[in-house]
Amino acid sequence: MATVGHSEVSDALHHDDAAELMSNSVVKKEDDDFSVAESSIVNGDYEKDATKDDGTFGQVLPEQPTMKIIERKISGYVGFANLPKQWHRKSIRRGFSLNLLCVGKKGLGKTTLINTLFNQELQDPASAKVDDQLANLKLEDPEKAGEAQETPVKPKVQINTISTTIEENGVQLALNVIDAAGFGDAIDNTDAWEPIVREIDSRFDQYLDAENRIDRTSIQDNRIHACVYFIEPSGHCLSDLDLTFCKSVHEKCNLIPVIAKSDILTDEEIEQFKIVIRSQLQEAGVNLFEPPHYSIDDDETVKSSKSLSSKIPFAVVGSTKEVATPDGRQVRGRQYPWGIIEVDNAAHSDFVYLRDLLIRHYLEELRERTSNVLYEHYRSEKLSSLGIKQDNAVFKEFDPTMRQKEEKQLHEAKLAKLESEMKAVFQQKVSEKEKKLQKSEAELFARHKEMKDKLTKQLKALEDKKRQIEMSMANQANNSPIQPKKKGFLR
Amino acid sequence: MTSDKAPVGISNLPNQRYKIVSENGGVFTLMVCGESGVGKTTFVNTLFQTTLKHADSQQRRHLGIKRTVEIDVLRAQLEEKNFSLRVNVIDTPGFGDNVNNNKSWQTIVDFIDDQHDSYMRQEQQPYRDVKFDLRVHAVLYFIRPTGHGLKPLDIETMKRISTRANLIPVIAKSDTLTQKELHDFKIRIRQVIEAQEIRIFTPPLDDSDASDPAVKEHARQLIEAMPFAIIGSEKKFDNGQGQLVAARKYPWGIVEVENDAHCDFRKLRSLLLRTNLLDLILSTQESHFETYRRLRLDGSGSPEDPSLPARAPARKLSHNPRFKEEENALKKYFTDQVKAEEQRFRQWEQNIVNERTRLNGDLEEVQAKVKRLEEEVRALQARKR
Repeated sequence: MATVGHSEVSDALHHDDAAELMSNSVVKKEDDDFSVAESSIVNGDYEKDATKDDGTFGQVLPEQPTMKIIERKISGYVGFANLPKQWHRKSIRRGFSLNLLCVGKKGLGKTTLINTLFNQELQDPASAKVDDQLANLKLEDPEKAGEAQETPVKPKVQINTISTTIEENGVQLALNVIDAAGFGDAIDNTDAWEPIVREIDSRFDQYLDAENRIDRTSIQDNRIHACVYFIEPSGHCLSDLDLTFCKSVHEKCNLIPVIAKSDILTDEEIEQFKIVIRSQLQEAGVNLFEPPHYSIDDDETVKSSKSLSSKIPFAVVGSTKEVATPDGRQVRGRQYPWGIIEVDNAAHSDFVYLRDLLIRHYLEELRERTSNVLYEHYRSEKLSSLGIKQDNAVFKEFDPTMRQKEEKQLHEAKLAKLESEMKAVFQQKVSEKEKKLQKSEAELFARHKEMKDKLTKQLKALEDKKRQIEMSMANQANNSPIQPKKKGFLR
Repeated sequence: MTSDKAPVGISNLPNQRYKIVSENGGVFTLMVCGESGVGKTTFVNTLFQTTLKHADSQQRRHLGIKRTVEIDVLRAQLEEKNFSLRVNVIDTPGFGDNVNNNKSWQTIVDFIDDQHDSYMRQEQQPYRDVKFDLRVHAVLYFIRPTGHGLKPLDIETMKRISTRANLIPVIAKSDTLTQKELHDFKIRIRQVIEAQEIRIFTPPLDDSDASDPAVKEHARQLIEAMPFAIIGSEKKFDNGQGQLVAARKYPWGIVEVENDAHCDFRKLRSLLLRTNLLDLILSTQESHFETYRRLRLDGSGSPEDPSLPARAPARKLSHNPRFKEEENALKKYFTDQVKAEEQRFRQWEQNIVNERTRLNGDLEEVQAKVKRLEEEVRALQARKR
């Protein structure tokens, strides 16, 4: 990078936009730092970064600027207290949705309970079973088709979804009931929970993908908002399969355990059974959905939500059939020779409590917890496992003076870099040119000296020669010229 | 199916939402934008019926003529009827106060973009339980009550804001205009806004349920009153019926803030808080933020692995004009240096050329001497024979 930058710069120095190019290379450098985690290794800061990574797990907020927050209670009518009301109106317009997962062995009355809860024939129990069997038949190996009616050895859990929209007083609920047919029905139920866990995960993955997409206008929430788990009314304790299932899903969805067909247990038996189940779940570290408390709740609401929590696991009875009570009322219930069990009677079963939790009072809380806690947990782990590094520096309260300072620092660093780069190139160019000129200067002097020496030598040689000639001529003159003169005179 | 079934309880779902929102409270970030002296501070205090902000002292006003636009953030936790709202007021002191206001909208636009950017980056982190959110839900643009029209600076700034946030233009200090003047001014502004295709925030008409015509009618009234003509006052006066009301007192009468016949304050408050606060918040999240995110992520090309969250390239440095100036100065400095050095080298080269000429002359002189001597020698030799 550095070398590329230099060549760019040295080429560019003679152009007017030299600095423009330099600044581009600076900006590019920042991009690299941001997107490529490995760049730190290249830069030689690996040691430092590695220790930093080890130290940070999850979200650790950097030091925040001190902020002044004015606190006021307003006595007059300003109007922002209308925001919950605006949400109320908006939520009706937008509608509600619930994705409900039902898990439990065959014959525990799952379909009946759901139908009772939503007061609708979401699925005709009889036809569904036939469909199931037909599906099993088709899926079965042709050779074994004859044995299909028997209980399969290995679990064959099938995920089926029934969707419907329920409207009540202008409020719409888009309901998706996800049924895990075949769970616990096999002889060997090892891994029976796996298809269910996979289903929950894949719905999270789907949402994560949608959330990461560039266009998120049509994001759909298919995440499981609640899982009703049907416990066999054995009156003893939870089976290993029950516990294993609860342990493998409790961090992925709001788990609501119910004791199915609880009308075969007496009140005392139910109480005893509940205590055992609760302690078993607690021992296994299983977290259940707990209705939250609101600070604005009055005492009565707090009390009722507490009593709701205390009823978990709900001992329920489902029935969509209406029967006449001896005192002449038409109720949903089951008629026995010894009496009528009324579904909607809190004294007879916990059905009303389950409905309060699942629909009437806490449906939106189930969705909130799914989105804010369970999904977030899944997402954090998933992204971390994909090698995405947490950058805690982005979690910072905006501070204009700090911001200005930071920008100034960035700007000054950029300027300093620009300056040093330009200076380096400049100095290099200058010294190159200086050397070149000095060289030609030296060459000039050297050539001149050489020539001059040569000429001086030549000159000296000639002078010597001249002197010699003159000398010899002078000698000649000393002898001969006198003679002729003499001769002449003598003649 | 029988009709008189026991209710399932679905009709209670909106109440659950109500309760959750009541419990969690809300966040509202409002930006006020306009030249100094149009009453931004007074309006904010009037709107929330409490002195959140003190007006700049006269001294500072005189001192601060020449300065670049800055950002001022005011944070408040307000409680009304047990409902808690975090209010952030973003002020841009000094906007449009200089002689040359070229690009003075840049700070405003940068701030809005920066907040979207910051939120986007926080959202991309694997762990993000706490997020700092200063995304601007509404920008109040204060127009000076000149009675003429919008200035080019108004148009250019509003254009840029409207593509990034919910823009609500307001006519400041509207008590300086008569009813007729105000009417004409509003029409003129609306025409310009339409012609320049500036999108201003309007309460949603289409998605409101038909069963509530009152809601629709209210929304229609709000839309018709735009741009809202407002006055602000923290002082209270007797309205003549023994009630103390927020008002401005003139020798010729009292202008009541909360009087629909005097100004549109109530309508604006309704739009900002009482009826459309949620619309402002949701449209910021679902429209403006998403638009910003899409633009930023689109530019970065598709990520290699679609399962990884797309990451936007780092944001550019701010457009602070002073920074650009400094950069240019540095460039100029080096250009000058290069020029000076080039001059020196030219001189040097010239010197070398001169020296060469001199030395050549010197050599020629010697050579001439040599020639002369040669000839003398030759002459002497000839004579000698």
